[in-house]
Amino acid sequence: MSSDSSNILEMQHISKSFAGVHALRDVSFTCRRAKVHALVGENGAGKSTLIKILAGAYQADSGEIIFKGQRYTSFSARQAIAVGIGIIYQEFNLVPYMTVAENIFLGREPHNRVGIVDTRRMIEETDAVIKRLGLSLSGNEQVNNLTVAGQQMVEIAKALATRADLIVMDEPSAILAGHELENLFAIIRSLIEAGVTIVYISHRLNEVFEIADDVTVLKDGQVVSTQAIAELSRARLIQMMVGRPLSEVFPPNTRARGSAVLTAEGISTESLPHPASLTLYEGEILGISGMVGAGRTEVARALFGADRLRSGRITIKGATIMPRSPQQAMKAGLALVPEDRKSQGLFLEQSIRNNITLTSLQRLTRLFVIQRKRETESIERAQHDLGISMASPALEVQYLSGGNQQKVVLAKWLETSPAVIIMDEPTRGVDVGTKFEIYQIMRRLTERGVAILMISSELPEILGMSDRILVMHSGQIVAELVRHQATEERIIELATTGESPEQTTA
Amino acid sequence: MTSAASPVDRKPSRTRLFLRRNASLLVVYGLIILLGAYTTLSSPTFLTDRNIFNILRQGTFLGTVAIGETFVILSGGIDLSVGSIIKLSVLMSGILMDGKPGNIALAVIATLAMGLAVGLVNGLLITRLRIAPFIATLGTYSVLRGIAYTITTTPKGKAAPAFLRLYDIKIGPVPLLVIFLALLLIVGIFILRRTTFGRHIYAIGGSEQVARLSGIRVDRVKIGVYVLCSMLAALTGLLYLTRAGIGDPVTGEGAELQAITAVILGGTSLFGGVGGLIGTLGGVLLIGLTNNILVVLNVTQYYQDLIEGLVIVGAVALYKQKRK
Repeated sequence: MSSDSSNILEMQHISKSFAGVHALRDVSFTCRRAKVHALVGENGAGKSTLIKILAGAYQADSGEIIFKGQRYTSFSARQAIAVGIGIIYQEFNLVPYMTVAENIFLGREPHNRVGIVDTRRMIEETDAVIKRLGLSLSGNEQVNNLTVAGQQMVEIAKALATRADLIVMDEPSAILAGHELENLFAIIRSLIEAGVTIVYISHRLNEVFEIADDVTVLKDGQVVSTQAIAELSRARLIQMMVGRPLSEVFPPNTRARGSAVLTAEGISTESLPHPASLTLYEGEILGISGMVGAGRTEVARALFGADRLRSGRITIKGATIMPRSPQQAMKAGLALVPEDRKSQGLFLEQSIRNNITLTSLQRLTRLFVIQRKRETESIERAQHDLGISMASPALEVQYLSGGNQQKVVLAKWLETSPAVIIMDEPTRGVDVGTKFEIYQIMRRLTERGVAILMISSELPEILGMSDRILVMHSGQIVAELVRHQATEERIIELATTGESPEQTTA
Repeated sequence: MTSAASPVDRKPSRTRLFLRRNASLLVVYGLIILLGAYTTLSSPTFLTDRNIFNILRQGTFLGTVAIGETFVILSGGIDLSVGSIIKLSVLMSGILMDGKPGNIALAVIATLAMGLAVGLVNGLLITRLRIAPFIATLGTYSVLRGIAYTITTTPKGKAAPAFLRLYDIKIGPVPLLVIFLALLLIVGIFILRRTTFGRHIYAIGGSEQVARLSGIRVDRVKIGVYVLCSMLAALTGLLYLTRAGIGDPVTGEGAELQAITAVILGGTSLFGGVGGLIGTLGGVLLIGLTNNILVVLNVTQYYQDLIEGLVIVGAVALYKQKRK
């Protein structure tokens, strides 16, 4: 392929795998100069990996990057900045107790021969950039006094100050309120006029249609299509994002749902400001769908007592509780298999044994002493029931595969014989085989009457496993669908816009 | 990133796993053996019952306080107040006992109660007021030290004769204090490995967030750990009284750093969650042995500090802690 001078960036045939699993497969991604190029795809489609390669945070296994006509096989992070690539991550890279100017010049402070920082020049250049962006900011302001939107502007200013010609914005709108978004779009438009190219990553299709010129759809690490946005309909774009047959086999629900086991009325926490209500019945799987950041995990944390409730009440098996800690929720019969097993579910440096029996030690203890025999029995039962493959229970969990680690987390919670299990992304980072096993385990549980609240970003999983589906958008539950009403398109529509063309249920 | 997880279990080989798990123990005990062998060859007085048990008995003081410090560090905390607790404990018990056998029980109980109270204060500062353990215990360190030097700046009080004799009692060739430390270690190891409290300590040190999400009463366990540590420090003060027979306010100076050193030398992670008492014992023995050898070889005090420092840095560098 030859490079075209109207393209500022061409990433050609990029492949990248982690430990044998392909994250990107022969991806080619081309951006026209001074255009907004949207990059869309489901969670795990490979967007972040692609951007990290562009940022020099990851090295591609194969492929080339042509930036401003110059060919590179790989970038270092420093190089990426030097050639003019600016990346604005969802998590800002700002030092909170430094001023705007200090942040913008962090690591490349202008200084004189003896090394004294030229503060005046720093402020002057900062003010110039701020003026260029039309912002009402002061270079002397301390960053932690700014709103999130303000901090985002500082990130943009920082990219501009390093003379970036291409700025990648990763989910910039996730943190912004309506009018702030308008402001961001205005700035994007002025940047385009000044010749800067923007790569805009977002889940929200409304925004993509409003701001983008071109769009690339990624799916399972491959490019589905790159097109001008004008050639596309919303339905077509959604179809491209989803476009996959239901390849996994989902075991059917054979049990009629029982009585209500958990009811939450108007619960809210600091990170879940809009009160949420839901009911969970014995023997059912209630799926919660929605984009990352839509408030799904926050609902789980509120139910489990991990975040302090500001309002509402929770009834479990007829008893009203206000869980002030996970410990109380656990006592009431709740379990939480968290989203990120590495940081929230497991003690990686400790043995499989210690991880599995941690929640059930009380049952295994006599006169303060843990009974080895009972503990071993527990572990053997878990190993057998869940099919955990391990060399020895003394092995540290860090040496297990993602799938086996997830089973250890499951085992830990099944030991408490919960009435309700909240599963946040139950099959994330798990290989296909184990995925299927986890589905089987979930069905076995519901057949015994356990209620499962399943949060998932994978639509096939939501559609295949849930008996009912709640869709969340911007911190609110916007719809409840029963299984036969739900389609991928409908859920995406609801999750990205918060509304459905044919309103059926509230 | 979904695909970052490997589908295949990365099972390290048995030998490699053994080495990785026990690197610190191998280094510490290896060093002990090497140093011991070298000194045996260069000095005839080193490898005698008398000298060995003497080293062990001296190790009882550091050993007792280091056991408590191990618990705290395993839980992800740190306790800087132990040196001052020892100081206050030896003063308090000496003054209360005042040489009278009838006062022994009172002095011991009151001193241990003081330890309990200090531990409770440390624990509450850390869990309720959310003060970082380093700062909270630095505060109590200073306050207790101040109290001790307000009481007296010169040795004061007197141990009852029966109490003073404890130091010299031997069962066969083995000093009572050494047996006492052995018992403490056994109980400590048992608590860490076979009780809910012990498992919870490792859990909290491993990840406080995971521990909380697993329904562990994190605050309660932490308070328990600081109470235990302070009480062991108070006990160490009592042991010093059996040796000196008088409450000397310079006792315990620098004990917190020695204890932390022993724990770290023993391979317990400063971040918590990994390690244990067998390592700490190795650390205590290595420090004791180094001091003893330098005395046997007639090296001056200043060189002792220097060499001890080198041993510490060298040993830890040999198994430097990897952590994300």
